[in-house]
Amino acid sequence: MENNIEESGLKRKRYFLLVSAALIAVVLALFTIMSLMAPGKKLEEIRLRFSQDEASGEKLDERMYSDSAYMALLKDRSYLQARTSMAETDSVYMTINLSDSTANLEISGVTVHSVRISSYKVSGILCRTDDYAISSMLAQPMNIVSDLASIKKEPLMIKMAPKDTSEFKPDIIPDTADYEPVNYILEMDNGIRIYVYQNTDTIKADSRHLFYFDLRDRLRTTWRYAKSSVIFRVPEYHPFIKLRMPKADAKILYRAVPRKGQVAVYM
Amino acid sequence: MDNKTYNEEGLSEEQRTGDTEQPQLQSFQDKPPVNPALRKAAVRILWIAGALLAFILVTSFVLYVVPGMQEAVSRHRPRLVNDPELKEDQSYRKQIAALTRDVQRLSKKYASYTSGQSYIVINTTDNRFLLYRNKKLIREGFCSSGSYTMLKTEGERKWIFKTPKGKYRIQGKITSPVWRKPDWAFVEEGLPIPSADHHSRYEYGVLGDYALSIGDGYLIHGTLYKRFLGMPVTHGCIRLNDEDLEAIYNTLAIGSKVYIF
Repeated sequence: MENNIEESGLKRKRYFLLVSAALIAVVLALFTIMSLMAPGKKLEEIRLRFSQDEASGEKLDERMYSDSAYMALLKDRSYLQARTSMAETDSVYMTINLSDSTANLEISGVTVHSVRISSYKVSGILCRTDDYAISSMLAQPMNIVSDLASIKKEPLMIKMAPKDTSEFKPDIIPDTADYEPVNYILEMDNGIRIYVYQNTDTIKADSRHLFYFDLRDRLRTTWRYAKSSVIFRVPEYHPFIKLRMPKADAKILYRAVPRKGQVAVYM
Repeated sequence: MDNKTYNEEGLSEEQRTGDTEQPQLQSFQDKPPVNPALRKAAVRILWIAGALLAFILVTSFVLYVVPGMQEAVSRHRPRLVNDPELKEDQSYRKQIAALTRDVQRLSKKYASYTSGQSYIVINTTDNRFLLYRNKKLIREGFCSSGSYTMLKTEGERKWIFKTPKGKYRIQGKITSPVWRKPDWAFVEEGLPIPSADHHSRYEYGVLGDYALSIGDGYLIHGTLYKRFLGMPVTHGCIRLNDEDLEAIYNTLAIGSKVYIF
C-alpha cells in the first residue's frame, strides 16, 4: 500500500518535471525564433524607409551597389551630409569614425576634442556597407532620445544658503578624484544604440561594474523580447555600436553632448 | 543477495548484537548499508544542483547565446567588386561624377567652418583650455569652470552655477575689470541683498587684469584663487591664471569664437 502511494507520488513528480521541461523548451524555442527574426525585420524597416527609390526618385543599376568606388563615395557623402547638417547648430555633437577609430566632439564644424577608440564592435546589420539603405540612414544625424549611464550628466550639488553670516562656511576644495566607472548607452531615434564602455584593463572593480552594467542591459532587452515573443510578435531589434575608450575620454564625451544631442557615424 | 536483516539505522542483526567476527562486507557484491535520511538529503541536494544548473544554462542561453546567434545570422560580408564593364557604363559615370562633386562641395563647406582666425576651446570636464591661431594650437593650460552647485534659499530663489556649453563669441574686452556682485554673491555668504547700485556690490581687483565677455553675464577672467585652477569651482565664469589670461586677451579679438564643451 505504502509502496503504491510512493510510486504514484514519484510518477506525478516525473510527469510534472516532463511537462515543465517541455514548457520551458517551447518558450525557449519561441523566444529564440522570434529573436532571430528581429534583425531581419529591422533591416526590412530600414530598407523600406531609406530605399533608393524614395531617396533619389530614380532607379539605379543594381550592380552599382556592389561597386567599391560608388559605395565608398556614397559613404563619404552620407557622413559629410550628416556632419554638415549638425554643424548648422551651435550645439556640441559627436562624430564617430570607425574606419580610423576616432570619436570627435565638434561644435559648428570645429573639432574640439578627439578620442582614440580602443576597440569597437558593430551590429551585423550595420556591417552591410554595400547596402544603399544603411548608407542613406547614416546620412542623417542621429538624435539621442534617451540614455542609461553609470555617471551623472550634470553632477549637481545642492547647497542651502546660510540664514546669516554666522552660518556661512567657505567652500571646501572639491573632490576631483575619479572613482566612478564610466559606462553608458545612448539610444538613438533610428533605433541604433551606441554603447560607450571605459577600458577596464587597470582596475578590477571597473570590470566587475561593467559586467553588472552590461548584465542589466541584457536583462532589460531579454525582458522586452520575452514580452513580445509570448504574444507572437517579432521584438524590436536595436542595432548597436559598442565602443571602448579611456575612462576620462568616455566621461568627456558623455558630459559634453547634450541630453538630446546628435551623433553621426562613419563605417 | 544475502538474507541478513537490517534495522532502521542500516545495521544487521549481527552487527547490532556485536556477536560477529566476520568482516562486514563478505564480498564485493554486498551492498553497503545505506542511511535513508542521508540518501534523501543527497537526492535533494542533487535536485537543487540540477535546478540551479538548468537555471544558469537557460539564463546564459537567453542573455548571451541568443544575442550571439542574432549577430551570427545577420552578419554580412559586403560583396564589393570592381567591375570594369560597369565602369564603361554611361549612367555609372554620371552617378560617380555627381557623387564626387557632392563630396567635394561638402568637404569644402565643412573645412570652411574651422576659422583661420583665433579661437579658444574650453573643456569644462577636465578644466583645461586650448588657444588656436591660424588653425594651430598656440597655448594650452588649466582653467576653472562652473561648480555645478545649486544654491537654494529657504524661499523660492535658486541659482545653478554651471558654465554654458556650445559656441559663443567674444562680445567685449575690458582691462582692470570691476566685479559687480550679483544677488547670489550676498545670499551665498548669508548677507542681506543691497540695493542695485549700493557700493558694497562693487569689488576691485578680484577678476584679474583683464576680462572677456561671452554674453549673458559670463566672463573669461583672472582669479585670486590660483590653487583652484583645474577644478570646477566657479559660479559659471571661466577663470584663468594671469599669464594665460593676458595671452588670451591679446590673441582674441571681439567676435572671436569661444567653443565650450
